[in-house]
Amino acid sequence: MKLSSRSKFGIIIAVLIILLVVFNLTGFSKSIRSLFFSISWPIQKSFWGIGDSISNFFGSISEGERVWLENEELKLKIQELTAENVALSNLKEENESLRGALDLGLKKEFELSFAEIISKDVSQDFILIDKGSKDGIEKGMPVITWQKALVGRVYEVYNGFSKVILISSKESSFDAQISGQDISGVVKGKGNLSLYLDFVPKEEEVKKDDIVVTTSLGELFPSGILVGKISDIKKSDLEPFQEDNISPAFDLKETRDVFVITNYLK
Amino acid sequence: MFLVLYILCLLQTSFLVYFSIKGFILNLVLVAVILINIFESPRDMTGIFLAGFGGLFLDIFSERFLGFWIAALLLTAILLKFVLREYVRFPAAKRA
Repeated sequence: MKLSSRSKFGIIIAVLIILLVVFNLTGFSKSIRSLFFSISWPIQKSFWGIGDSISNFFGSISEGERVWLENEELKLKIQELTAENVALSNLKEENESLRGALDLGLKKEFELSFAEIISKDVSQDFILIDKGSKDGIEKGMPVITWQKALVGRVYEVYNGFSKVILISSKESSFDAQISGQDISGVVKGKGNLSLYLDFVPKEEEVKKDDIVVTTSLGELFPSGILVGKISDIKKSDLEPFQEDNISPAFDLKETRDVFVITNYLK
Repeated sequence: MFLVLYILCLLQTSFLVYFSIKGFILNLVLVAVILINIFESPRDMTGIFLAGFGGLFLDIFSERFLGFWIAALLLTAILLKFVLREYVRFPAAKRA
């Protein structure tokens, strides 16, 4: 029996669908991805580096003036911060000696695992890092930058790689509060690297540039990790809550390395 | 050609990230699949197979389930083939 080309094509498509369903259900797709990640990793790393250099080069040309002004501003800020730092280190010493005296002991610092970003997902709210289960990475571990800015949490773990869901993903939501104030809410991702603070009663006085930090309420992230700054406040007479847009503290274009907090227990 | 699609996919998920416009990155694999299917003969099936492989590469680097991009690119290629075969006539085709 001779099959027509249309029938052959139909059979190929049917076999393909069955194979894909089996791969997705049995978790074999994970092994395929892991294999491709290990092959692609060196090439992607080079592309990432080249992209970074080219973007920096063009960025510095087009933003020369802005950078100069920002530099001047930052110089002033450094002076202010240096003075503040001196005052804070005095306070820290005092605090440490008081803690020692009270025999409370210092809270253990986070155990961090250094990881490099290999790639970003096409939908932008996932990244791939070069640490996986063999490095002790587990699903749900928080991921931060060196400035202690929250990036996201580990979503999927492979042998030598992990997928990190960014806090800006539509699937992401966690408890947070305005730093230094008793205003808390839920930070939700909007996709495309934007996020907002929800469930804050509209009577609460949230201001632009207020700093948003995590709380340990939902036990997803440790408390006090920087999420971002309030960039825009939306209040409506019809809604009981205000919606405050947040500009994230991490800049993915500028970030090449991240840290995974490996000892935060859920 | 498979290698070219693979390299385009790697470029898309690493190099092009730095040149995103309002958070959107050019889908090089999709563009390549569309161009291949437009410029090859409407009866040639290579473009459809390349769409399948391009989709597989995109799926591997995507958080979606395996098959999403395969289906998307295959549908695009098949639709393009259908439209080009049924509704478009190139003057050059007369010479063939």
